[in-house]
Amino acid sequence: MSESSLARARPLRAPARLARAFEAYGQELVVLGALVVLMAVVGAVNPRYLSDTNLVSIFAGNAYIAVAAIGMSLVIISGNIDVSVGSLIGVLGTIAGTLAVGGHSRWVAWLVPIAAGVAVNAVLGALVAYARIPSIVVTLGAMSILRGGLISATSGAWISDLPGDFLIAQKRFLGVPSPFWFAAVLTVIVAIWMRHGAFGRSIYAVGGNADAARAAGIRTKETIVAVFAIHGFFAGVAAILFCTQLQVIQSTVPPNLELNVITASVIGGVSILGGTGTVVGSTLAALLFAAIASALIFLDISAYWLRAVLGLMILATVLADMARRRRTI
Amino acid sequence: MLRAALAVILISSLVAGRAEAAGWTGGDDQPTNPLPCTGGAGPAASKPYDGGAPANAPARKGKKLTVVDIPKLIGIGYFNATSKGIADAAKELGTVTAKTDGPTKANIDEQITFIDNYITRGVDGILFAANDPVAIAPVLKKALSKGINVVGYDADASPEARQWFVNQAQFNGIAKSLLDNMAKEIGEDGAFAIVTSTFTTPNQARWIAEMSAYAQKCHPKMKWLETVEAQEDNVLSFNQATTLINKHADLKGIFGMTSVATPAGAEAVSQSGKCGKIAVVGLATPNAMKPYVNKGCVKSVVLWNPVDLGYAAMHVMRAVADGTLKPGATSVKAGKLGELKVINGSEILLGPPFVFTKENIGKFDF
Amino acid sequence: MRLDARTLLRHETVLAALVVVTFVVLANQSDRFFTAANLLNQGRFMAEVGLVALTMTFVIVTGGIDLSVGSILGFAAILVGVLWKKAGLPLPVAMGLAVGAAGVAGLTNGLIITRFKVPPLIATLATLALFRGLAEGISESRSVRGYPEWFYTLGQGEAAGVPVQVWVLAGAALVAAFVLERTTFGRATYVTGASETAARFSGVAVDRTKLLVYTASGLAAGLAAVILVSRVSTTRSDMGTGLELDVITAVVLGGTSIFGGKGTIAGTLLGLVLIQALRNGLALAGVKGDGTIVVIGAVLILTILVSNLFGRGGDG
Repeated sequence: MSESSLARARPLRAPARLARAFEAYGQELVVLGALVVLMAVVGAVNPRYLSDTNLVSIFAGNAYIAVAAIGMSLVIISGNIDVSVGSLIGVLGTIAGTLAVGGHSRWVAWLVPIAAGVAVNAVLGALVAYARIPSIVVTLGAMSILRGGLISATSGAWISDLPGDFLIAQKRFLGVPSPFWFAAVLTVIVAIWMRHGAFGRSIYAVGGNADAARAAGIRTKETIVAVFAIHGFFAGVAAILFCTQLQVIQSTVPPNLELNVITASVIGGVSILGGTGTVVGSTLAALLFAAIASALIFLDISAYWLRAVLGLMILATVLADMARRRRTI
Repeated sequence: MLRAALAVILISSLVAGRAEAAGWTGGDDQPTNPLPCTGGAGPAASKPYDGGAPANAPARKGKKLTVVDIPKLIGIGYFNATSKGIADAAKELGTVTAKTDGPTKANIDEQITFIDNYITRGVDGILFAANDPVAIAPVLKKALSKGINVVGYDADASPEARQWFVNQAQFNGIAKSLLDNMAKEIGEDGAFAIVTSTFTTPNQARWIAEMSAYAQKCHPKMKWLETVEAQEDNVLSFNQATTLINKHADLKGIFGMTSVATPAGAEAVSQSGKCGKIAVVGLATPNAMKPYVNKGCVKSVVLWNPVDLGYAAMHVMRAVADGTLKPGATSVKAGKLGELKVINGSEILLGPPFVFTKENIGKFDF
Repeated sequence: MRLDARTLLRHETVLAALVVVTFVVLANQSDRFFTAANLLNQGRFMAEVGLVALTMTFVIVTGGIDLSVGSILGFAAILVGVLWKKAGLPLPVAMGLAVGAAGVAGLTNGLIITRFKVPPLIATLATLALFRGLAEGISESRSVRGYPEWFYTLGQGEAAGVPVQVWVLAGAALVAAFVLERTTFGRATYVTGASETAARFSGVAVDRTKLLVYTASGLAAGLAAVILVSRVSTTRSDMGTGLELDVITAVVLGGTSIFGGKGTIAGTLLGLVLIQALRNGLALAGVKGDGTIVVIGAVLILTILVSNLFGRGGDG
């Protein structure tokens, strides 16, 4: 920009500010819009879709994916990826259940797995940052190790007779199941922190251009380890929400969980190229997917075509995002 | 161009899938054989022996056997129970070393690799529960050709690929038991839905096909709402069952077709506050269902005893290896289970399906 | 090849040494491991992952990735059965059309990536669901069985004592190596991965290169599908589930950089052999399934770690 144009810069008028906001939050608005349209259409076809029991089960039942997607979004914004989160959640859930039936207090059962998640992912982050192993490699390996380890340790035995006060996902606050509150509050906290905290900005910087970030004085290696550790925290919270939904814990790795979490993050606007996206988007996208999965059953879509329709909808959302980005380039 | 592509995708996605739900066209195109509406399970069919035979099997009578058990997958309660039965029988016989190994996902390709590795290792006997009856046949035939004894349980292979198959219950018998129990609870014009694992799981697909035939024959007024998949994951089964409850105002009953789906379905009914209003009938292990049966949420759980199933399979393996069980036999002695009948040529029937209720469920621990 | 420190410490050399060490250790643990019969048999199991890994090398070298190969395999497998049984086409025609359809699927991936500029990870994540869904929808979850005898020779037969699909894999590997390392197209692949902007400015047809590698990836999955159906004598809509992770593990183990611009077919083949050897050898040595995947995960991480430690001096 030339000197004179800098001098000419004026505060934006309202329409321009709105347009700027749309640009910045475009993908989030697209996802929100898709969610609204979906609910309107399906609600028209089958009003029971919009019944409060159904909406609650959609949003609360899948809130753990949104929570995991918060951590995953941070990882992706930093320019990395984690395909081991599903296996990690399986392991942490089993640890939680084992502690709960082992006579420990529910706080121990809740907090130890979260700490374990932080520790494990910090190690993965260190391998990525200091040993310079690409994150996909580290997490592919971790995925196998965690899954095999879980089966070796438990043979998939079910953990039952869980103490009632441990089952936090089944508790309600103000009539709404707690997972919804966890997802909402954590999303807001992280969104604000990413936007206004220096650490948040450094994650974006590292993801956008690691060399430039380093040149600007950001400690990239420490940032990456920290990002992975934080991701471990959210995986731990997600694991607690996941494993306390029912009266038993299955001690297995939930199928396709990592794919669902990654999809929620990227559809929510987190660019796989790193450097852009927000956690608000990923939470909305997680909700959108839960809504789509439920909608497909409500719309009487033949069960054989469920997954194809889901794939088409993912594609549509992705292309819509590309269309929006092209317009602003 | 992009917008056109988008429009095409959105429209096709909404059009592509709309079809009548209900009805069941899955299964493997095999004919169904619904039982009579009243009375018991009926006589089992008798056919000439149609199993395979090992080539040049060494004389194993009285010798120590190394047997490997390769179920559909390891890490779920059902196969932990069959594995326990196999181990119990091995200990009782005293002359068998048995080991359970298998893929961590219900994947036929991985299962084939496992079996192949054990063939190379050299075992005396292979026990299996197949992920796919036809796909597993080539590797089992290879085992037979190397003189290994092959006995199946729970999920069969093509008959010529194994020597004997221990059948927990006949497909039509299970269908009859499930539907009769459901009709007792929700009435002859109730509406029900089914939660299964996947549409390609052979046992489940056959059961549902038999249920469809039996329902048309003996409970024609019952409404079959829909069938959903939930793999072997209990959280997914729970979510699917909850969606069904939310969607159908007239839903009176849920069938759980796997030992994972049934407790998850019961939990969904319980958390929705519909205990007693929506019946849950299905296949499950008693331990998983005790809380719901004791609460009165679930009245009956249909199963056979998987520990007995594994136990019987091991005894059959010993008898086959020893040569005491030969093609053409009409029954076989299986330890504490007594004499088991041979049906359909090369199947050994464990017995009629067992119904767990509030009265008897406390006596079992698996 | 000069035999200096640089060559010795190349990733492929480290990997080759690791393969040899692994073979020795595994042969020690079980005398059934290092026999011709067993090794050839393992070649049979390797063929499907191997074919897809060859083309995946190209894809990753261009800096992209293809997560949908497993779904494309399932899709093609279903088509073989459906086109033959339902549409009544002669089996060779059905096979050809299935492979062709797989190629079209790959081309679709390529178009989404080049025309609509969707990043490959996202694009193939979406098509992973889409193609698997098409397989489930078209097949309605039924299997097609009962193929004529000649069909089974591809997956279960032998030629000159070596399984048929091993010949196919060997031939494909030679072609792939030639194309990647000796043709302009191969060089275009490397340049695209190393720096797309530089490639474009040098006049390299970047988009066309990408379209071709993703189409090739689809074709390879289609061919693997035909071989798999022939090997197990049936079709299932869940075939190929998880294939993409096995393939990517082999390719990355082989030294192909996930950031693009680096990689060889020889490395990929070594990676394949190492993983197959571990799966087989550990099982023969008595390690159970869950233990084996832990070992493979650890080997993946450790190999790249060691290779990084050595290679840092070279190309930092």
